[in-house]
Amino acid sequence: MISNYLLAAWRHIANNRLFSVINIFGLSVGLMSCILILIYVRDELSYDQWLPDGERLVRLHTAYYSPDAPPFLTIRAAGRMMEAIRNYASDQVETGLRLVEVGVTVVRGDAIFNEDIMFADGTFFDVFQLPFVHGSAGTSFSKPMDLVITESTAIKYFGRTDVVGKNLTACCLQGSQLEVQVTGVIRDLPENTHLEFEFLTFLDPSMFDFAPNVLNTWTSVNTYTYFKLKAGADAESLKKRVDYWLNNESPLREMVEEGVLPSERLQLKIMPVPDLHLKALRDAGNIGDMKPLGNNSMVLAFVGIAFLILLIASVNFMNLSTARASRRAREVALRKVMGASRRQVAMQFLGEAVAISVLSLLFALVAVELVLPFYNMAIGRQLNLVLSDDLPLLITLVSIAVLVGLVSGSYPAIYLSRFLPARILKANQSSDGGGQSNIRSLLVIFQFAASIGLAVCTVVIYAQTSYARSMDVGYNYENKIVLSGLGATAAVDQRQTIVNELTAIEGVEHVVLSSEVPSQDNENNTGFTLLEGASEGLSESVVLNYYTAGFGFFEAYEMEMLAGRGFDEAFSSDVIVPVPEGDDRIGHAGVVINESAMRRLGFSSPEEALGKTLRADMFRAGTFDLSIVGVAKDVYFRSIKFGIRASVFLNNPGSLRVATLGFRTHDVAGLVREVERVWKKILPTTPISREFLSEMIQAQYQAEEDQAKLFGIFSALAVVIACLGLYGLASFTAERRTREIGIRKVMGARVRDIVGLLVWQFSAPVLIANILAWPIAWYVMSEWLDGFSYRIEGHYILVASMAAGTAALLIAWLTVAGRAWKVAAANPVNSLRYE
Amino acid sequence: MLKLHDLSKIYRTDEVETVALDTVNIEIEAGEFVAIMGPSGCGKSTLLNIIGMLDSPTSGAYLFLDEDVSGYSESQLSNIRKHNIGFIFQSFNLIDELTVAENIELALLYHNIPASERKSRVATIMDKVGIAHRAKHMPSQLSGGQQQRVAVARAVVGNQGLILADEPTGNLDSAHGQEVMEMLQGLNDEGTTIVMVTHSPAHSDYARRTINLFDGHVVTENLRATG
Repeated sequence: MISNYLLAAWRHIANNRLFSVINIFGLSVGLMSCILILIYVRDELSYDQWLPDGERLVRLHTAYYSPDAPPFLTIRAAGRMMEAIRNYASDQVETGLRLVEVGVTVVRGDAIFNEDIMFADGTFFDVFQLPFVHGSAGTSFSKPMDLVITESTAIKYFGRTDVVGKNLTACCLQGSQLEVQVTGVIRDLPENTHLEFEFLTFLDPSMFDFAPNVLNTWTSVNTYTYFKLKAGADAESLKKRVDYWLNNESPLREMVEEGVLPSERLQLKIMPVPDLHLKALRDAGNIGDMKPLGNNSMVLAFVGIAFLILLIASVNFMNLSTARASRRAREVALRKVMGASRRQVAMQFLGEAVAISVLSLLFALVAVELVLPFYNMAIGRQLNLVLSDDLPLLITLVSIAVLVGLVSGSYPAIYLSRFLPARILKANQSSDGGGQSNIRSLLVIFQFAASIGLAVCTVVIYAQTSYARSMDVGYNYENKIVLSGLGATAAVDQRQTIVNELTAIEGVEHVVLSSEVPSQDNENNTGFTLLEGASEGLSESVVLNYYTAGFGFFEAYEMEMLAGRGFDEAFSSDVIVPVPEGDDRIGHAGVVINESAMRRLGFSSPEEALGKTLRADMFRAGTFDLSIVGVAKDVYFRSIKFGIRASVFLNNPGSLRVATLGFRTHDVAGLVREVERVWKKILPTTPISREFLSEMIQAQYQAEEDQAKLFGIFSALAVVIACLGLYGLASFTAERRTREIGIRKVMGARVRDIVGLLVWQFSAPVLIANILAWPIAWYVMSEWLDGFSYRIEGHYILVASMAAGTAALLIAWLTVAGRAWKVAAANPVNSLRYE
Repeated sequence: MLKLHDLSKIYRTDEVETVALDTVNIEIEAGEFVAIMGPSGCGKSTLLNIIGMLDSPTSGAYLFLDEDVSGYSESQLSNIRKHNIGFIFQSFNLIDELTVAENIELALLYHNIPASERKSRVATIMDKVGIAHRAKHMPSQLSGGQQQRVAVARAVVGNQGLILADEPTGNLDSAHGQEVMEMLQGLNDEGTTIVMVTHSPAHSDYARRTINLFDGHVVTENLRATG
């Protein structure tokens, strides 16, 4: 019996090529999309799940709030928090851990590399039980300056992995070179962890005595802080304890203004480590994590798309199967006459659907193999699909295929098995009642509503992304090379020399120094107090972000000054000269503020601000009275995602770390060679780190652009599958209506009358689909856009909707018209003789 | 009215060549009532389709109202057809989804006639064939005889001068068949030319002339004495 079913199914597939191709192709593409999304989502969900005792690990995040500024969010915490919380909540916390990242250069023979060293408390391997290749947690990480490196780093520096006992030379911590012995080698960190480091060094707190804002601070947030909880404790209960401590026991009570609770200014959040990859984004602010974070809502969106694509493909199957029912009515009728029960007939069709679905899965797997390299390139991952070692995935996929088969087959099975043999065999009546075509119309409406909705979302996401990229940021970032590393001890003395030599290169227009360049972002905040005149009383201090900009910075970046001037060598009094330690004098210097800072400080016009004085504590440089010499127009110094901060520009030579080299030349490659030659000549021990500013700016939006691209590809696939279905349906409807078309033609209808008739029949569902899809897309996209401080206007959604709707209609027309034309042009004689 | 001269129709498939009509010469005057008879497969329907311009001859000439239409394009043929020729089929060929009135109106739909005029002409013709009380019904709610009356109404509502009927009584019982034949007789009396394919000698008696076909040839032509 089975072989009879299989034979019938196979012949049906083979004899109805269009039907089969549309079904199998549609389901294959649907399943392929589903698999691609599935392995991506699975990878996203796998982050840090593999960590031993992962469920007991949490990280401390910090958020600062001030009354009239956007909150400052970070996944780091202040240096003293770890110890304080560990001791206070010792019944819940087993141990704590701080990580501090420091950029150094490491030498191998003649080669020098820029590297980041992760300094970690000795508890590191109690918290993160990473596997050793050589050495062990007990022996390799037991005393200050013990150095554990990853396998690939060992190979990079020594060419092999058994390098315990070998020395590496690093430069520089507090101005001195370090000779460090490798004490252990761990396996490379897998891709799916939030952690990222190559060098791990046992932290000796005294090493940071010179920089009290790293470890010995309640307010500066420069450490990654983790806790390992005792069994039974969880993030929520620890959070409650920490909240109580903050307002009732912590020293921060003394640091906030009178009458304000610490929790009104500062929040400490506890996030389980396995959640970090997908959920830390909301706590991460503009500085981000050790490496790019995932996006929970994107993962959900992709799961939704996968589901929709599968549903659209299933609907094709249902529609085409029932539309073609009359073709198989006779088979059903005869089987019933021969004694088949309705159940048996239904099972036969369900089985057929499952067979087609499983066949499609095979094609889908082949397709995934083929597109995976491109997919990986698009999403910047190294995903792979090896089903033989991945039984759970195989079972999942087969289950999905079977489920899709059952869902797609259910309606045709119920519908076809209901046929009454007597009616079918006796009358040659069309067996397709009005009810079924109504259900088909509903399904087509659903398909197109889903496709149009996806298309609208794609267009809006794309528009927002390119808007973000093309917005006028307020400065010129073209034709600029950024050279970092000038803050390195070896480079400080040579800084002026290198600026002079670089400026002399042909094609170089200017070289300016600063602490950061646009797209680089450090949260440097300090309190500035406006002195009304020189000697009147102090008013309240305002926390502002500050940068250092060297001479000529504003001119080089073509930043507009609203009043006053930028820093100029003619005004050497602008420069911050550190006040010697032990000296109580107040230093004097000039300062440029931006428009936002001007408003924050309470000035109503740029001119009003000029000449006023701000007092600020410049940490090791001492206290300064800063005279406002210029007001610069607001610019998007960082990604527009984070808006514009009230900022102050100082000219503090101690913070000049980056050079911006503006050029005008056609021989960019030659220029770059020349720049590298000059750098190597002057700073042979500092590796050059050079980037084009335009690429750095671009990179800020890369993640969103990649996501938009991916979203676009998958929604295009959804639209293609929906159109395939429509094509099939139009074909069969046209076929079913050949008699009617014949009659109309005999009555004088022209081919185009007939085409119009059929096209309209399929336009109606698409139009209704538009009406359904638009409000939903509008709602979803408005919510999404609300997440951006600088976003495209709502009417863009309407434009996108109309574009997507029109496109859907045109595609539907083309799809149907082509098919209708063929049927309409046929000679009516054949369809009228016999029924 | 129409004249077929040495007209042949040959169907070709990959291997077989079938001669459906072989050098047929027929002339039909306006106002005639002609019956075409012959065994199954003798070419009756092919002949009717060619006369009705639904099919084109392989060779020979076809003069319709003194115009040679054998080389005409499909749209030219369609244009002549819709103004001059009405069709009646054995299987009625009404559209299931349209009402009686809408089915009749279909014949005027592609003639650029204003809706109001279409409505009144449909109403008139429904009265004439006696199905006005069924105007809003669907074809499936009618008996075979009633359906064929609708088809007749549809064939003549556009004032077509020539009606081609392909076994119009083939699916009807004798009483209903009689009814339809009388209706055609009445139309012929008013001047409509009728060409009818039939198997029934009784019904061919309504015609003034009977053409007998066999294997694609005209074998005999019988004239019935008038009166």
